[in-house]
Amino acid sequence: MKIVYDGVSFSYPSKTALKNVSCEISPGSVALVVGHNGSGKSTFLKLMNGILKPTQGDVRLEDVNTRDKRVSELARYCALSFQNPDDQLFASTVMKELRFGSENIMGDGSLVDAVSGILHLEDYLQMNPLSLTYALRRLVAIGGSMAMDTPILALDEPTSGLSQREKAYLGSLISHSKSLKKTVVIVTHDLNFLLPFADDILMLSHGEVRYFGGRDNLFDRNDVRQLMAGCGVRYPIYARMSATLGAGKYCYEGKELIDELIKRKAGAAQRTNGQHQLEGA
Amino acid sequence: MLISFKDFSFAYSEDLAPALKHINLEINEGKSVVVSGLSGAGKSTLCLAAADSLSSYPAAVASGEILRRRDSGSIGGTAIVMQNFYAQITYLRSTVFEEVAFSCENNGLPRDEIIRRAGEALEKIGIEHLADRNPLELSGGEKQKVVLATALAMKPTLLILDEPISQLDPESAAHLADVLAELKKEIALLIAENDPYLTLKVADRVVVLSEGEVIADGAFGRILEPGIEEHVELPAWTRCVSEAVKEKHPDMEDSTKRYELSYKSAIAALRGIR
Repeated sequence: MKIVYDGVSFSYPSKTALKNVSCEISPGSVALVVGHNGSGKSTFLKLMNGILKPTQGDVRLEDVNTRDKRVSELARYCALSFQNPDDQLFASTVMKELRFGSENIMGDGSLVDAVSGILHLEDYLQMNPLSLTYALRRLVAIGGSMAMDTPILALDEPTSGLSQREKAYLGSLISHSKSLKKTVVIVTHDLNFLLPFADDILMLSHGEVRYFGGRDNLFDRNDVRQLMAGCGVRYPIYARMSATLGAGKYCYEGKELIDELIKRKAGAAQRTNGQHQLEGA
Repeated sequence: MLISFKDFSFAYSEDLAPALKHINLEINEGKSVVVSGLSGAGKSTLCLAAADSLSSYPAAVASGEILRRRDSGSIGGTAIVMQNFYAQITYLRSTVFEEVAFSCENNGLPRDEIIRRAGEALEKIGIEHLADRNPLELSGGEKQKVVLATALAMKPTLLILDEPISQLDPESAAHLADVLAELKKEIALLIAENDPYLTLKVADRVVVLSEGEVIADGAFGRILEPGIEEHVELPAWTRCVSEAVKEKHPDMEDSTKRYELSYKSAIAALRGIR
């Protein structure tokens, strides 16, 4: 489902959080929203499922304007997982938590088993979510949103509080969402982990869009480092290593980087071989 | 010695597996300990135990002991920023400045001292610009910074931080790491954190927990051995070299260490592939 922000501004009583934000997120893509603390990222996400309505401009999910629908109606289009999982969890067992949105909003609960498998929650299904560790509570909250099986999945800082094991589970969930052609929008500070999944990047600073577009296009820009620094974002570590090692392209994860280095080495060897053969002739 | 765990074990209730098992750990002034480990390993419980905050679990079962310096409970003693720091904002005050000042106020410090400490703490964390804002209206990361500033304003001798950068943007996280690296010269730090970059900058010692037990304890560079990367997150460059060495990549020098924490040395090792 396509998401369109058209000249969107939003003000809290004492602060303008977003100023004239426009962007179009394509159906089935994964978009990362990045920026400094207080840049408007979470506000951007809350406008998507109608918890907040724009002060100016429009947010449209396909051709549905969020102004025209109640949050309960928009829940059929967009499931949002909050920054603080404890704001979201309420059921007495993990199973009930996972089934709630799914049964009450979308109907059949068909994704519940898949989600609990992907997030490795099977052993906790009968436990009270509030008795689990923070990382597990976060996975349950994310899983509950995913299980709603909406065309749009919005996640607010999903990696925070997760150790590398749960991050890997989250990665599988994002890949699964992608295979189901869901549009996934993720607010994050964790570019090192999430860049491999991303199609588009939205960069915010003080409520304004500094960049919106393809991931690879961003890294092709000469001013990418300055752009990121201006948004409180650190230049991702694998991109830095790719540049230092002359990998020839920006790699977004370690394995990709090593493979790229090996490929270049093989290419260079082949060229040298060819040269020798020519000389021999 | 500020605090010393002696064969300390703890379970939240009789029918739950112990969250901590036979912990022996001493934390001294001028030292920083980073606690790593997978979720559920016992990191947060260790932080709460060090902060003497486990007494609120009536069904809990504990054994062993935790020795503390006598003044550890007073202001200037122990301060903690919990994983769920949202719960630590009082919302009784309408500005960030007053919120940060609140704990000092509550401890009856003189007015001038309170104002000075709150101002300094805001500056240290880099949130002077939020001083007049209402805490209710802040973003998640900004709230985390407010709670960090509140803890600093108490001028503790033992500062306990449970995942202190979980909601911070990368620039702020790097800034906090610098502040902590400076702070550890004077006080003791106990930090539950898996972020390898913070660990590199701040930790004198890394304690690795797995299922409630200490499985490694020492300087970051010294605890790294095969198998540990399942429990401890490594910097990206260290992981790359480690993978290449593990795969026995033919272009890697035989002398390449499997765990290379220094960025420069790791890049030099990877240049072997180029």
